[in-house]
Amino acid sequence: MQCSTMSIFRKLKEHVTDVLYIWWQEMRLVVKDEGVLMFLVVVPLGYPVLYSWIYNNESLHETPVAVVDHSHSALSRQFIHDCDATPDVDVKYYAQDLDEARSLVSRQLVRGIYLIPSDFASRISRGEQAVVSVYCDMSLMLAYKAVYQTAMVEAGRLGAGLSIKKAGNFSAHEDAITAQPLLVDDVAMFNPSGGYGSCVLPAVLMLILQQALALGIGMSAGTARERNRNGLLIPDDAPHYHGAYRVVCGKALCYGMMGTVAAAYLSMAVPRMFSFPQLADGWTLFVMLLPYTLACIFFGMCVSSLVRYRENVMLLMVFVSVPLLFLTGVSWPQSSIPGMWQGVSWLFPSTFGVRAFIRVNSMGASVSQILPEIRILWIQAAVYLGLACVVYSYKKYMARRHSPSSENQSN
Amino acid sequence: MKYLSQFFDIALRELDIIIRKNHIYGFCMVVFPVLLVFFFTTMLDDGVPQDLPLGVVDHDNSATSRALVRNLDAMQNSRVMYHFASVTEARCTMQEGKVFAYLYIPDGTTAKLLSGRQPRISYYYTMTCMTAGSMASKDLKTIGVLGSAALKQATLSAKGASKEQIKAALQPVTIDAHMIANPQGSYNYSLTTVFVPGILMLFMALLSAYTLGMEMKFDTGKEWLARADGNIVVAILGKYVVHTLVFLLVIFSYQYYIFNVLHFPHQGGVWSIVRLTLLQVASSIGFGIFAFGLMPSLRMSMSICSRWMVLGISMCGSAFPVAGMDPPLQAMSWLFPLRHYWMLYQATVLNGFPVIDVWFHLVALVAFMLLPWFVVGKIKNAMLNYVYIP
Repeated sequence: MQCSTMSIFRKLKEHVTDVLYIWWQEMRLVVKDEGVLMFLVVVPLGYPVLYSWIYNNESLHETPVAVVDHSHSALSRQFIHDCDATPDVDVKYYAQDLDEARSLVSRQLVRGIYLIPSDFASRISRGEQAVVSVYCDMSLMLAYKAVYQTAMVEAGRLGAGLSIKKAGNFSAHEDAITAQPLLVDDVAMFNPSGGYGSCVLPAVLMLILQQALALGIGMSAGTARERNRNGLLIPDDAPHYHGAYRVVCGKALCYGMMGTVAAAYLSMAVPRMFSFPQLADGWTLFVMLLPYTLACIFFGMCVSSLVRYRENVMLLMVFVSVPLLFLTGVSWPQSSIPGMWQGVSWLFPSTFGVRAFIRVNSMGASVSQILPEIRILWIQAAVYLGLACVVYSYKKYMARRHSPSSENQSN
Repeated sequence: MKYLSQFFDIALRELDIIIRKNHIYGFCMVVFPVLLVFFFTTMLDDGVPQDLPLGVVDHDNSATSRALVRNLDAMQNSRVMYHFASVTEARCTMQEGKVFAYLYIPDGTTAKLLSGRQPRISYYYTMTCMTAGSMASKDLKTIGVLGSAALKQATLSAKGASKEQIKAALQPVTIDAHMIANPQGSYNYSLTTVFVPGILMLFMALLSAYTLGMEMKFDTGKEWLARADGNIVVAILGKYVVHTLVFLLVIFSYQYYIFNVLHFPHQGGVWSIVRLTLLQVASSIGFGIFAFGLMPSLRMSMSICSRWMVLGISMCGSAFPVAGMDPPLQAMSWLFPLRHYWMLYQATVLNGFPVIDVWFHLVALVAFMLLPWFVVGKIKNAMLNYVYIP
């Protein structure tokens, strides 16, 4: 009895030593390899800052437009003046006709045209509906919205002013009711200025974490395989590399170390540096980031088993980064993603990591509100851990079956 | 004649590598681009997000408020999925990501509306997904306007006003919007046409650096140069003519698909598309070769290409306009091929404007194409003398 307890204890000790040894070995490999270090340190450190800088101004102001005023009336001038006074639109040119205005759009000098027909004021005086034509360059959605919505709002205001004049009210209160019998409060939540950066950046931050880990792990695995004389991921003759799970755990410890630092920096330092919305409390962030980082690491290990040369992982991971951003539902609403792609999105930790992070960080959600995402992240971490172990032991098995040096690297 | 036969010899050698030896080329040149086109065109097939899930907090619970809610549900972009008992419940559901917006109609709204005491309804929408947020807010805004209009209309028709008079009284000034070249405001037209070319340019640049780096990695560069008798220009031309032709084929089929099958708008016509494609392929490959020449190391040159091209997707200004960025970034945007590609695309292909109005972007792409000229000597030197360090 005593003996078996001792042997269990000894075995456990041996396991732990092996894991720690692999951790140390992997750490040495990472620190020495500048390619890997670049992805694990420079990318998480530098990229977020760069992206934050790009989107720092948040919104587009003073979109240039051209005006073609055929009416030349006090009312048309008032309309143009009102539009120019808004923060979104800047009336930059007065064109003689539509062709001239069109050539201004063609030369990228303006993004839209307001055309006021010659009967604009006379129609209003006759009590008929007047029309302002708005021509929008559709190549920039943000500019289109600014040009179009400003015209809508200002036309509404001008109209309200006209109806008040016509109504012949006695008090200011009556005027207000004539203009708007039903008041409407418009409240944009969680990103009140509608800033582009505040919307996209939290997603980009989480995606960077996954991509950096996957690229770093993939590159270091590729190096290990290229250095190994039989082209193997796991050295078959080295002393401490016995079981697949020991290798997986040892490596995970190494990347976990780097991942946690990167995750902390991305989730806490970067939003603060650029004053993006940050409503998360520490505990919720921890509960969310722990499974996410783990899932990313094991996901990266599974991906790394796919690549033959160290550089190929770059070709693979870089290309998926934009589609992955789309699958998270940050630029295209989740409810409009086709079912097939919803299914595909379940394969990637970033989908749920990004969703959970946006809710926690930008919307102030609590743990219970992101529970489904956290659960899926844990499941992903477990599945990818299992998969990594299976893949690694399969590789070991295949390596043993092929006698050494039979596996020849061509090309 | 000698050059020509060397040129074909090298081209055949490259073709052999691409087809038989290293399958990553096949993936990056054909499989991934096809997947990418399929991904974006199916993902954004709706064009505009439809039936966004919304919620309603209706404390008024009258015929009028129910009519408002029904109107909201009938809108193309919105679907009323939840009826909440309280605003807190609505907010929590929003934080769970189940609704993008909710409409709050307080108790007594109808009574105040009828007695002319100006009631107030509120709508709340999340801007953490901007597309959904702005779509939802647009529909809710319309509902608010309709709510006001319904009352005015009832009053006016009771007073005996004609239809025309009511129209003029409700909206004295209207907007007649012309959305040039994209009348549906489809996101498919505006996003697919920048992301797919952007990622294809990434592949082109990456593979251009990759193929040179692999020559060095497996020490086949000397043999490659020997086939051209040490003439680096012939060697490079022979190598990249294969890449160019394959990518041209891939991009032309992508364009046939989006312009002829999916009917994306292209007022510029065929010639503008062909011209743009030739420039796109040549400038990306030129950039890739230049990156390798700058740092003749497989890993470094690929890192530069991938980072630069991915950054280009943000810096081209199709989502967040360049004019809104900080001045140093505006200047830097000139260094990204995708920026020039996109400017040319939207001016000449989408809107059909004359190319002379954006000539400087065309010149910039030609400059990217010619960049390798500065580094061919360095590449030759690298092939002959450098040793690959993993």
